[in-house]
Amino acid sequence: MSYSVLVIPVLIFLIIGFGLIKKVAVYDEFVDGAKEGFSTAVRIIPYLVAMLFAIAMFRASGAMESIITMISPLFELVGIPPEVLPMAIIRPLTGSGSVGVLAELMAQYGQDSIIVKIAATMFGSTETTLYVLAVYFGAINVSKTGYALQAGLIADFTGFIAATAVCLVMFS
Amino acid sequence: MLSYLWAGMIMSSVVFALASDISDEINNSFGNQQAFHFKYQKSSRQGQASFSPGDKPVFFNINENNQQLEIDADKSLPQIWQHIARHQSVEDKTQLGVTITEINQNKQELTVILPEVHWVKIRAITKTAFDMAEFAVKLAIGLAGIMALWLGLMRIAEKSGLIQYFVKLIYPVLHWLFPKIEKNEPVLGSISLNMTANMLGLGNAATPMGIKAMQQLQELNRHKDRASDEMCMFLAINTSSVQLLPPVTLIAIMGTGVSELLLPIILATSASTVAAIISAKMFARMRTS
Repeated sequence: MSYSVLVIPVLIFLIIGFGLIKKVAVYDEFVDGAKEGFSTAVRIIPYLVAMLFAIAMFRASGAMESIITMISPLFELVGIPPEVLPMAIIRPLTGSGSVGVLAELMAQYGQDSIIVKIAATMFGSTETTLYVLAVYFGAINVSKTGYALQAGLIADFTGFIAATAVCLVMFS
Repeated sequence: MLSYLWAGMIMSSVVFALASDISDEINNSFGNQQAFHFKYQKSSRQGQASFSPGDKPVFFNINENNQQLEIDADKSLPQIWQHIARHQSVEDKTQLGVTITEINQNKQELTVILPEVHWVKIRAITKTAFDMAEFAVKLAIGLAGIMALWLGLMRIAEKSGLIQYFVKLIYPVLHWLFPKIEKNEPVLGSISLNMTANMLGLGNAATPMGIKAMQQLQELNRHKDRASDEMCMFLAINTSSVQLLPPVTLIAIMGTGVSELLLPIILATSASTVAAIISAKMFARMRTS
């Protein structure tokens, strides 16, 4: 596990080393490439504001909790522990929010509980879909996102079902 | 669809917040303008308070001029008291400001009123909206530095031909996912780097490369104002996060507990990636037909 810290330094070493071998003006090229960083970041600000404030309001109002209480009987019916539902709902919306949910579940049920295992697998196996959508399409100023959201949410949903099924089979 | 989801979140949050505040108002959940009677000891000027019968009691001192109870507003207070303390209108929220209206020395009983609390949820969503707007800018500015670093490195790797070698290696997969993109397009390099970074759990490297890929896809896009099929496919794969190593955040929260989750994560993420690819391909077919 601890080998993963090596990846980035080794990658940087390889890229620069290979550049030197191929006689690339590494410093000049680096600066040239890096120039785009700032303008791109500024371009995504409006998209990020739009997305983050809506999600934050949705959470703070208690609307999300109400929706979770409303649909949790459905999940119990198919054998999914309803305690993991907050993770399933929040994972596509916010990264920091889902970290919070996972930490809460760990404090409440303990690291070895099936609930935490399912929630952690959900966390690890999908991305913050709406954030990625806002950033990626924001960077090119496209607001008509086609079917990207639908496809992303279908993927998330499949991931959640798979995470639950795999954990239930493996750990209980 | 994104528009409706977005509007739905905002509209529902205002409606829910209003409903919750009105129901608090009707039930008087925070005891606004309600007289509470607490027992105290004349000698020590101390006593116990509880919000409703059966609650865990809270200890208080009576302050010097007999006008206020001194209650520290910290985590040890029961939920409801903490809630009132957080939303009272005074500047100093470290003390719960309970006002004494009457002291009955014979019966050793106090009559008090609690600070008034209204519009808790409405205030909360307003505050969070502005906080998040500010946070979004911080997030983007933070991203600027990381983007610059990775874009700089990518430029070197591009000029040295490293990326082209890499693309050649995984071209069969790329061609299957993005059949309309020509073999020598530079966007394939960005896409393959982004996917590799995702697989290794390097979120902060994946984002700049993904953004670069989106920009190059936009150059190939025939309708500049809407997402192309390639963009949707790329995004779907990204949100389903193909990964072989768990994300760094998960390792940070769970520590060594992560190791037994490796297999479940790989299985679940493969399932979601397959679903992403299939649904993107199907949507693409529906769009053209």
